Amino acid sequence: MSETAQHAPADWLDVLPCCVGEILIRRTEAGEFSLCHREDAEMESLRIEREAEAAAELARYDDSGRYRPLKTAPNLQHGWTLLLGRAEDARLALAYFYPGRAAAYQAWKKETLRITALRQTLARQTGMYRVAAGISDEEADALVGNFCKSDGGCLRTILWRRDAAGAVPSTLLPRVKFDPGFDQTGRGEAALPLLCQEACNLLVAEARKVVKTSE
Amino acid sequence: MTRDFSHAALLIVGHGSTVNPDSSRPTLAHTAEIRRRAIFGEVACCFWKEESSLRDALFFFQDASIREVYVVPNFISEGYFTQTVIPRELELSGRCTERVSGQVWNYCDPVGSHPMMTDLLLQRAHDVAPGVPEGETTLLIVAHGTSLNDNSAVAAKREAEKLRELNRFAAVLNLYMEEPPLVADWAKLTDTRHVVVVPFFVSDGLHSYEDIPVLLGIEPKAAGSATDRRSTAELFRQNPHKLHGRELYYARSIGTEARFADVIVQQAEAFAELKSGRELVEGLVA
Repeated sequence: MSETAQHAPADWLDVLPCCVGEILIRRTEAGEFSLCHREDAEMESLRIEREAEAAAELARYDDSGRYRPLKTAPNLQHGWTLLLGRAEDARLALAYFYPGRAAAYQAWKKETLRITALRQTLARQTGMYRVAAGISDEEADALVGNFCKSDGGCLRTILWRRDAAGAVPSTLLPRVKFDPGFDQTGRGEAALPLLCQEACNLLVAEARKVVKTSE
Repeated sequence: MTRDFSHAALLIVGHGSTVNPDSSRPTLAHTAEIRRRAIFGEVACCFWKEESSLRDALFFFQDASIREVYVVPNFISEGYFTQTVIPRELELSGRCTERVSGQVWNYCDPVGSHPMMTDLLLQRAHDVAPGVPEGETTLLIVAHGTSLNDNSAVAAKREAEKLRELNRFAAVLNLYMEEPPLVADWAKLTDTRHVVVVPFFVSDGLHSYEDIPVLLGIEPKAAGSATDRRSTAELFRQNPHKLHGRELYYARSIGTEARFADVIVQQAEAFAELKSGRELVEGLVA
């Protein structure tokens, strides 16, 4: 187990306050779990929500009301605080904000998180996405470097490699993009990672576009 | 509800969308509703086009108390997704797949093949056109048709036949967007004053917000976008739409019906029943 994994808490809620992606999780004086955008931490006039399900709506649109197809993109909306009495509701809310990421984190802690190389993911595709496997290494390097970058792309920490030989996913990304101990928001604070064990379907779809365009 | 699912998890699989914010809403709502009922030890959902992905779901249900997982596709029919994509992404080797941990994943039938669909379609028709006499009404069940290995056209035909057998509506027709009988020909294919249209889809989206209304003639071409929620709400508020001398009632997609949650649970129950029956028979034979 890596040193980062060894020192990380087993669960996102184990040590509070803590940051996950763009979210700050705290306990209020009354003992409630309080979630808000990290950039709103000092704001006083935030809209209060009290249902875990409200997180689904908050996660769906960005500040300008545009749909967010990628929940780990750095465009979580501002202006709200979610107050929840029970840890299970806080976990549920976090599952709406960052679907699947807590499970990946827990598996990583237990060393059961299976990592799949990009080439393996692409080779598995069928139907309209089968052609995505035809992306060249150079094209994949450029695509991942742009699509997955934390600044404007995605806040996940990439664990997968480009191929079975262990090639880096993109030479255009800084080394910290692959470091679970690094705060991908760039705020330089202690933050738990949003781990990426396998290329997402949005990246697969982009790879298809690249291949189709170069045909 | 007699079966104990406290040591089982339910995984609902939806399609999702990278462009339409409403696509995953019904699946998320049904997941939340079933979770509230506390029938299963855990309840989660995953999507082909959204997060959590099907691949993410491989790491769900890590609690050792969860011995079984019931996977229910929130899809209208068997087809490319239920037969190819879901088994491949979830690494299912058949109807029952045992993981290294000993946890068994049971692959259930899609929601659209449940017998309750007929009732739900009937209910939806009543809700959208309350008080309209059935004997003077044609009910149109609309599906896509002619897409990749998609059997939704067959499912719509089956449901239309079952509704016809009830002998309540003047006529019940299954119409398609891309193959005959075409939605665009609805005025020629019907002769009643009232016409009720129910899209046979698991969620509202591009087809139900834009394509079908355009084909029906109740919405001009490229009038708005699927993400323009004000215009879509208006679409359903304007019932009945008056055209070709008829009154046309346009319903939301069948999958937005809250009772879909019951169907999802019943698909898991049906699988459990079937499995225990088979195990009983195998035990007797052995």
